[in-house]
Amino acid sequence: MIIRNKDKISSPDTIKEHFEALGYICSDAIATSVYLACHLQKPILVEGPPGVGKTELAKKTSELLAAPLIRMQCYEGLDEAKALYEWKYGKQLLYTQLLKDQLGDVMRGAKGLDESVTRLHQFGDIFYSDEFLEPRPLLEALRAEDGAILLIDEIDKADQEFEAFLLELLSDYQISIPELGTIKAKSNPIVFLTSNNTRELSDALKRRCLHLYIPFPSKTIEQKIISAQVPELNEQLKQQLVSFISELREMALKKVPAVSETIDWARALLLLNVDNLDHDWIKTTLNLLLKFQDDIEAVEPEIDNLLKAANKQR
Amino acid sequence: MQKVLGDFIYALRQAGLPISSAETLDALKAAQLVGIDNAPLLKQSLGMTLSKRLEHRLIHDQIFDQYFNGYGHLQEEGGKPLSQEAYEKAENAESEAVNSEAASEQAAASTSSSVENPNTSLIPEAAANLSSPLAQQLMAGDMSALQVMITGAGAGAGAQEVTFSTQIPIVTYRVMQAMGDSELQQELQELAKEDENSALVQLLRQRRSQLQQQIRDYVEQQYLLFNQGESQKLRESNLQKIRLTSVDHSNYKRMGELVRKAAKRLASMHSRRRRITKRGMLDVRRTVSANAAFDGFLFHTKWKSTRIERPKVMVICDVSGSVSSVARFLLLFLYCLQDVLPKVRSFVFSAEMAEVTELFAKKEMDEALAEILHRWANSPTHYGKALADFEQLALADIDNKTTVIMLGDARNNGSDGNIAVWEEVYRRSQRVLWLNPEGQTSWDTGDSIMSQYAPYCSLMETCNSLRDLNRILGSELKRSG
Repeated sequence: MIIRNKDKISSPDTIKEHFEALGYICSDAIATSVYLACHLQKPILVEGPPGVGKTELAKKTSELLAAPLIRMQCYEGLDEAKALYEWKYGKQLLYTQLLKDQLGDVMRGAKGLDESVTRLHQFGDIFYSDEFLEPRPLLEALRAEDGAILLIDEIDKADQEFEAFLLELLSDYQISIPELGTIKAKSNPIVFLTSNNTRELSDALKRRCLHLYIPFPSKTIEQKIISAQVPELNEQLKQQLVSFISELREMALKKVPAVSETIDWARALLLLNVDNLDHDWIKTTLNLLLKFQDDIEAVEPEIDNLLKAANKQR
Repeated sequence: MQKVLGDFIYALRQAGLPISSAETLDALKAAQLVGIDNAPLLKQSLGMTLSKRLEHRLIHDQIFDQYFNGYGHLQEEGGKPLSQEAYEKAENAESEAVNSEAASEQAAASTSSSVENPNTSLIPEAAANLSSPLAQQLMAGDMSALQVMITGAGAGAGAQEVTFSTQIPIVTYRVMQAMGDSELQQELQELAKEDENSALVQLLRQRRSQLQQQIRDYVEQQYLLFNQGESQKLRESNLQKIRLTSVDHSNYKRMGELVRKAAKRLASMHSRRRRITKRGMLDVRRTVSANAAFDGFLFHTKWKSTRIERPKVMVICDVSGSVSSVARFLLLFLYCLQDVLPKVRSFVFSAEMAEVTELFAKKEMDEALAEILHRWANSPTHYGKALADFEQLALADIDNKTTVIMLGDARNNGSDGNIAVWEEVYRRSQRVLWLNPEGQTSWDTGDSIMSQYAPYCSLMETCNSLRDLNRILGSELKRSG
């Protein structure tokens, strides 16, 4: 990959600083993984609970390197026609219809079937050439002149067969199309794969990737994130809010609040002009944090205790 | 550096991490890129390339700390011996970075020896006359050189092959010998004869016991790094072979984990098969695309898929007195199986039969097992009655896609076996497995009526260890897919 901003990735620390300038606060592990991925030309497999900024990492990296981001969302039943390439069938059909007469001209005067076929062969595989090829995300990433950031989102949602299909791309940055042959990347893209761990990925896939696990951020990092995203929020409330969330994550809930929910909550509190967290405010805004009625019911009677613990922590 | 990383990776593999050679190469490249002076960065880089799972990552981090604290002299790899001060500094830096106890211990040891240095200056001429190489080394107090010697001698004495903790003392002794301890001892004895040398002798003895301790630590560390995993592996594979009846209580928990492992393996096999199962519909898009070249004539039809009916499984488990010792495990497996396969109905019986599918689904494993054993176990077996109940409960639901599995010893206390019901079951399902915890030789002995049921079973197997269970169910799953 042709890296435009080489100076920005000269060390993990510089990467971290530049990410921060872009509003993405990250841990050392994240910065190290990006550093290694850029220099070793390896894909990164990013795992972690939902809402900790896995997809965001790819977006910010593309911003950092000023490279285009090509995103492919995986889902069950995704196949290579949707991920890699497809022929433009409509165009092919239309052209065969339009060229019928032309073909008649070409064939005129040919003696016997053999000669006709030989003449036809002189035209090559016009209907299976580049003009009729519809590139999909993977092919686009391979064809990008200056390299690209390829984000394969939620790979765990795709089928196992699709995972196997990706192996060639991930290790050699090339892909085989039966009609066209092997297509090699013009410039190796940086690949991010994200997974929510809904199923175990195969060892073959894991072997080809760097593995990055993003946990929920520590309190200091989360405070930094809030400062970056909602700078207007006052210091005391911010601390209170982060402590409360971290207490909440300790509870056995169906879905614990992620970073994105913390940010939403912070924005809401700002909008509501709250300057001190108390029982009533939490109760009215709890549905921003918790997405299951069961969870809300479980947390409501505990609010006071959580708040006390959160205040003590600070 | 390659050697160091190679050993490190070997240690990781011993701890059960599946590390391929491709990953080893990646790790080497990463280490070259980030350098080895920044311990936290190196740890993260190696972690990312070598461990691909959260639990593996935790093991990796732990072993990294253990391992690289032993290689405090990593920087000296170039062969450039460091002065003691520099070594201490490196050691301190290392212990700060890795923050492990042993490193600071070693640093403390080297500090204490440098404190003694003034004493040494009192007896320089005597020290200069020392003949044995080890004594000279000890007097020079070059800890890093000693550590290198220990590592070298340790490899020769087989420190990495220690399989049991009881071997540690003898290997320690061997390493001491390899470093020239006998010569040192001899010299010490000679020196001790003359009074004027007493200070020197005392110092040397003190240093020697320090060294001994250091070697012992080293051997122990090697044992922990390289071989602890081995004995655990041995234990697990033995456990798989042990008959279910003779497993003692302390192994219960481990067994449960193995059962879950086996069930999980079955699950992943099964889920893969399920994904192949698709629906039988014309795939319009693919059909049109495949036929574009034929001027739109539909030569090849492409189908979304074909429908395969997934099999239902019914498992009947004998929990009566005669099989009480294995019942718990059969139930445990039954529980895991139901967790894992989508359509399992579970039944238990001793005299009366009851369906426990709901119970398994609702309750935690321990609770469910306890309740079953409490309610239905430990009464005399009556296969006839149980099968009559089964007829009522489930016979109507058995069709040719159902697999029926019986876990029991067919010991019927001399009463009527109600063979007719079993015959009907077989007629309907054609796939009936009988897994008997007793060996084939004891079938039909005493009150066992195995042979009466035998004609109506498609498969009869002895099943009294986890390995049996695993194999039988595995092959059955393959066939039923």
